Amino acid sequence: MASLIRSWIPLLILQSFLVAIAFGSKEAEEFSEALLLKPLPDRKVLAHFHFENRAPPSNSHGRHHHLFPKAISQLVQKFRVKEMELSFTQGRWNHEHWGGFDPLSSMNAKPVGVELWAVFDVPQSQVDTSWKNLTHALSGLFCASINFLESSTSYAAPTWGFGTNSDKLRYGSLPREAVCTENLTPWLKLLPCRDKDGISALMNRPSVYRGFYHSQRLHLSTVESGQEGLGSGIVLEQTLTVVLQPETTSVETNMQPSWSLSSLFGRKVVGSCVLAKSSNVYLQLEGRLGHESKNVDTEIEAHKLWKNADFDLSLKPDRVLRESSSLLFIFDIDKSSDSEPFDLGLTWKLPSKWSCQQAPLQATRFLMGSGNERGAIAILLKATESQEKLPGRVVTDGRCTIKANIFQIFPWYVKVYYHTLQIFVDQQQKTDCEVLKKINVSPSTDKVSSGMLEMMLELPCEVKSAAISIEYDKGFLHIDEYPPDANQGFDIPSALISFPSHHASLDFQEELSKSPLLSSFKEKSLVRSYTEVLLVPLTTPDFSMPYNVITITCTIFALYFGSLLNVLRRRIGEEERFLKSQGKKTFGLKQLLSRLTAKIRGRPIEPPSSDSPAAQSSFLSSKLIFKIILVAGAAAAWQYFSTDN
Amino acid sequence: MKVLTLVMLLCYSFAFSSGDTTIHTNNWAVLVCTSRFWFNYRHMANTLSLYRTVKRLGIPDERIILMLADDMACNARNEYPAQVFNNENHKLNLYGDNVEVDYRGYEVTVENFLRVLTGRHENAVPRSKRLLSDEGSHILLYMTGHGGDEFLKFQDAEELQSHDLADAVKQMKEKRRFKELMIMVDTCQAATLFNQLQSPDVLAIGSSLKGENSYSHHLDSDVGVSVVDRFTYYTLAFFERLNIYDNASLNSLFRSYDPKLLMSTAYYRTDLYQPHLAEVPVTNFFGSVMETLHTDSVYKAFSSKTSNNKINSEMPLNQLSEHDELQKANIQNDELKTEKQKCPYTQMRVDLHKKLEKLENVDTVVNLGIAVMLLVVMVSSSLL
Repeated sequence: MASLIRSWIPLLILQSFLVAIAFGSKEAEEFSEALLLKPLPDRKVLAHFHFENRAPPSNSHGRHHHLFPKAISQLVQKFRVKEMELSFTQGRWNHEHWGGFDPLSSMNAKPVGVELWAVFDVPQSQVDTSWKNLTHALSGLFCASINFLESSTSYAAPTWGFGTNSDKLRYGSLPREAVCTENLTPWLKLLPCRDKDGISALMNRPSVYRGFYHSQRLHLSTVESGQEGLGSGIVLEQTLTVVLQPETTSVETNMQPSWSLSSLFGRKVVGSCVLAKSSNVYLQLEGRLGHESKNVDTEIEAHKLWKNADFDLSLKPDRVLRESSSLLFIFDIDKSSDSEPFDLGLTWKLPSKWSCQQAPLQATRFLMGSGNERGAIAILLKATESQEKLPGRVVTDGRCTIKANIFQIFPWYVKVYYHTLQIFVDQQQKTDCEVLKKINVSPSTDKVSSGMLEMMLELPCEVKSAAISIEYDKGFLHIDEYPPDANQGFDIPSALISFPSHHASLDFQEELSKSPLLSSFKEKSLVRSYTEVLLVPLTTPDFSMPYNVITITCTIFALYFGSLLNVLRRRIGEEERFLKSQGKKTFGLKQLLSRLTAKIRGRPIEPPSSDSPAAQSSFLSSKLIFKIILVAGAAAAWQYFSTDN
Repeated sequence: MKVLTLVMLLCYSFAFSSGDTTIHTNNWAVLVCTSRFWFNYRHMANTLSLYRTVKRLGIPDERIILMLADDMACNARNEYPAQVFNNENHKLNLYGDNVEVDYRGYEVTVENFLRVLTGRHENAVPRSKRLLSDEGSHILLYMTGHGGDEFLKFQDAEELQSHDLADAVKQMKEKRRFKELMIMVDTCQAATLFNQLQSPDVLAIGSSLKGENSYSHHLDSDVGVSVVDRFTYYTLAFFERLNIYDNASLNSLFRSYDPKLLMSTAYYRTDLYQPHLAEVPVTNFFGSVMETLHTDSVYKAFSSKTSNNKINSEMPLNQLSEHDELQKANIQNDELKTEKQKCPYTQMRVDLHKKLEKLENVDTVVNLGIAVMLLVVMVSSSLL
């Protein structure tokens, strides 16, 4: 027996060794970090942090990871999340100046507040339970009140209007959620290097939150391994998009402001995160191709790209890539160190102007009507300048059309009348069948569920403007359903306008690049834009009404009974007599004066009043005794009755 | 003799069994700012100052429940985004880089507050939002906001009454959610909020007496509002001088409040709290300082803190000589108990126990007992 075991031991060792090799050779967890900087036409600078963390399929069931955050992996395992996106945003993306037709804006321009959507991999009946539990878990993880999305009045199940077709999709947004340091910190804690090292060390909280727009996004998707017994892999993508205003001293208004990383963030990059597979900084300059030669083979030509008459870069880029309309400088930050920190700067020498590509139609939304009873919501789509140049037009039956999807959630207290839906194209009312290709409505139920509207419009290509209006009645809430600041009004979440036939992508034509940021730009993404959040003032009760009623009633009672008693009880003659006797005693000076005048005039002094002080005192004392007896009697009666009970 | 024994037994069973044998194992803090709106900036600054203090003195983030009713740091009116100051010199950013807010905005309600205290949550509520204290926990409960006679306003919409607070504390005590609880309230007429408290091991301190207001300390003209309240300001002034190893006593904290500076009279309710305040270090509540006892053998359990390892306000906690500790380690637990409990009641209890063990026919005693009880009930009912 012993010999048998002895003969097995080397075999076992060999086997374990082989297993180790097999596991080692398998795809490992990968993390990469990137920062994209982009000057914007309106003298601002966009900084887009991009972190990607990939966990390959494994059979550890989320119990063990090297780089991947365990909290997220357990979340995915427990609630069986197939795909999920959570974003925290403050500020509104300026589609006109910051772009509306590139992957960056279509993915990172998010509605104000918190937006969460998730697709689950559970039976249809359990989706709502999973959603509820997920919102609670996320609220604990990210220090936000995401758990308010658990109630069925705040989320919806879009079918096709959202862009992701699944019947296990849930979508909800909280427009009034505050976004601050406490949300960013747990988000940063998911990164292997946190905010201690690498690109994320730039995130100085005051600089980030001083910006015009900041949106922190977390997107995760599972990748099925296809193998039996293995779980699914997870791809976690974390992005932070900030639009900052560089401080300038120059007076010239047409001159673009110069900036550096340290002037934008107050910090520099000292070394990359050692756990990251790649850590790059990109600088994208748009509209820079007109006066550049196409071939940049020679060293001098390349040098011209980053140090020329227009602008200067403080560091030499490692590579330069070009796209149809923009240049991309790539910097590796591996070489930077404590002694030589990476501090990229851009100095403009000449005034320069360019514009960003815009979505085919620009959407705004507003309220109509007045008063606290009813109103109307209108969505206005305006053609942009770049509309004609864009690809993605659909020509059917000889007619050129633009497709636009509108997805909108209405809270139940905004009671929308769907039959009042009106569509105007170039100020002319159109019947539904002309432009409306598809519509899906799920009406709201009071205090149970929110309403949802999905529409697909097909507008002619030469359209200048299109308007959609729908009327609603304002509902009443129960007194304890009002938030503490009810007088501020109630928010209607942003509507989502997407263009299903338009896809944005940036292809830098580099096959070698395996940067997750560039490959995510390369993927065709749906062009979408969110509208403003609407603030609807609802009738609010006078919360202090009960107190007011009590106070007013008491005042009226006091006035009534007080004056009545005064009239009934007052004995004017007696009071006058009392006052006279008082006057005798107190006004010594007056008496003296009167005596003096009497003496001068030679008349005798007026006799004192008829009431003798003794009689008065006896009267007073009898009154006092009566009062005491009355009080004692009342007290005794009270005592008797109260003890009897 | 038997009847007498039985009566004593009955008395004993009705008496409250004082099982104060658990030792202090962990510290928790619940910090609540109940005021909404920008002009109440100072209340958030108060709470965050306390948050910073207890964190500095050793309570980790997962044992702090922080409730902030509004977002001041990233408020549109804040000149200094992501920063909150409690002093106009702006030396200290209270919001820092690592703040964990557990309940914020509309979530700060009386209901959620009472749920946190009593631990009655929905199943889905994550651990970070729960007060997972146990019978060895010392809890600091700090509240600030606008209040009045026996109430504290939550977000200008709801009120927490002194009865609600007392009930919650009572429930906590019954559920053994704390060993000792310290309630600190900075609001107008704070003392009235403690009127209904009855549970033992509760220490309460309020910023003002009934009829008194609690005032703000100073205005920061850059921020545009008052940034801190007087009571909290002087509490912090006391704590800023301390580090985790200092052994200032609660008494010295209480003595540091000067009614002239506070413009109100700080109030302490100590009648529910047995230990002498001069011997309790402030870090029992405002920090997390664990005693380390060196033992020769592993896994030796200490049933209770002995009275002689308590410190006074001058002597530091960690000055206990190693010799003492070794001695203590060697003493058997039972001996410790008997040595400590020398009061007549426990003596009587022990005698009773011994007598009970000597009894042979227990059944007859039980029967007799029931008969005596019936008799007593009959007599008492006929008398009434």
